Amino acid sequence: MNDAPTIKHQTSNFLNFVWRIVDVIVGGIFIYAGAIKVFDPVQFAIDIDNYKILPWPIGVGLAFYLPWLEILCGLALILRRLYLGGLSILTGLVAVFLVATIAAKVRGLDITCGCFGHASQNWNFSAHLALDLAILGALLALSFRVMSGNRLQDAV
Amino acid sequence: MVKSSLVRQALILVALAFVPGFVQAIFFWDKVSWRSPVPASEMVTVTQARAWGENTIWVDARPDNEFARDHVPGALPLNEDRWSELLPQFLAAWSPEKKVVVYCSSEGCNASREVAHRLHKEAQLANVFVLEGGWEEWLKEKR
Amino acid sequence: MKTHIFAFTLSIVLCLTARAGLKWDQTAIELHPTVTDKQAIGHFKYENTGDKPVKFKSVKTSCGCTAAQTQKEEVPAGEKGEITATFNIGERTGTQVKTVTVETDDPANVTTVLTLKAVIPQQLEITPTFVFWGQGEAPKPKTIVVRAAKDFPVKHLKVTSSSPDFRAKVEETGNGQFKIDVQPQETNRLIASTLTIQPEDSQKIFYATARITNARAVQ
Repeated sequence: MNDAPTIKHQTSNFLNFVWRIVDVIVGGIFIYAGAIKVFDPVQFAIDIDNYKILPWPIGVGLAFYLPWLEILCGLALILRRLYLGGLSILTGLVAVFLVATIAAKVRGLDITCGCFGHASQNWNFSAHLALDLAILGALLALSFRVMSGNRLQDAV
Repeated sequence: MVKSSLVRQALILVALAFVPGFVQAIFFWDKVSWRSPVPASEMVTVTQARAWGENTIWVDARPDNEFARDHVPGALPLNEDRWSELLPQFLAAWSPEKKVVVYCSSEGCNASREVAHRLHKEAQLANVFVLEGGWEEWLKEKR
Repeated sequence: MKTHIFAFTLSIVLCLTARAGLKWDQTAIELHPTVTDKQAIGHFKYENTGDKPVKFKSVKTSCGCTAAQTQKEEVPAGEKGEITATFNIGERTGTQVKTVTVETDDPANVTTVLTLKAVIPQQLEITPTFVFWGQGEAPKPKTIVVRAAKDFPVKHLKVTSSSPDFRAKVEETGNGQFKIDVQPQETNRLIASTLTIQPEDSQKIFYATARITNARAVQ
């Protein structure tokens, strides 16, 4: 008898499921990216240094710190604990990284390794840029969803 | 409301990440050079190297033709083009109490660092140093 | 948020269209030379997509081991060409990164850095490549560990000493690992030997050095 609410409920459930998948995929990407860098912090320090934006000692500090932050925020997305905090940090990280990458390109520095460590060293600039924009897009979409108050009570 | 919990959560994550990061940094304490890309102890100035006097073995990491043109008096050539050919004669001159100073053309060239690295890693020699400023700096000090 | 995305996109579009002169196919090339290759050559192709000819002011390499050549000094509008970077491998090992800095008279693109990365296959890892005894030190055997790379399985290792004063004994320790025990007959004279290490079925020869040095020191 009450078909309308049931369909609406099903659609809403399905959408939530889709958003959860997005959470897991994006969170997984950052856990993967962080894990790769955890295994070779020295190489990551060199990669950061290649951008020639930060002095070496700060780069080394970041090389030890950032990968763990990525892993924790990725987990936050997947486990939905500290979700908002994780989402905002990751969005900020990707945005800063994009700006740094574009700045490096403009200055003529050739940076082919970035957030995926040396695993992505074979990719060219466009591929990197496209992937990072896609990740930023997903993060922003997740942010919009939270901002529009849909599942605020789930985001612990 | 949302904003304050966002900030709180973000701060928690930022703080939490310091723990494993710090632990890992401890593990890597002496495997990483914290102050510069090449560990500070590995570089040496012309003045310091000359002060070591007779105890120094000078190693020229530049290509053969540059060595032939001019080099530090008494220096031995050792470059990556003819590594296995030149290494034995260097080792013949070496003994444990000597200090090895490797140079290439200037601050910018990498050959001295690579040769020093191989002597340190493959031949496992201690007391291997890279000359700050390279051949250019040596010429300046000669005046 | 939306204005940020807009600003981003705008800046990206602006960045990409700012280059109106020489357009490079790739500014970073990764090469994988084989064990027997003496050189690794990278072809950096470009096209002058602008409407004015572009002149090469200088083409400099980061080290003496890399030579870079441009086929033409000036590139007319619409023409293609390449800068060939030849890296002499010599006896270098591991991943070598060499750069070629190209300076042109194109105001939008004065300096371009071309990166040539050569991943040199390393068949064997020999640790250490040098063993020594101080004069008068007890002539006990010292060990050199040889590890075969994962892509280059080695079944058998042949080791010969250039001098009869040093004896070298090879033992396989499993998992692609070998150990070479080197022992001098005596340590009173300043004798030396070059150990030739050759994997079975391989053309490549590796070396290690054993000698007596003139100081009383323990390695």
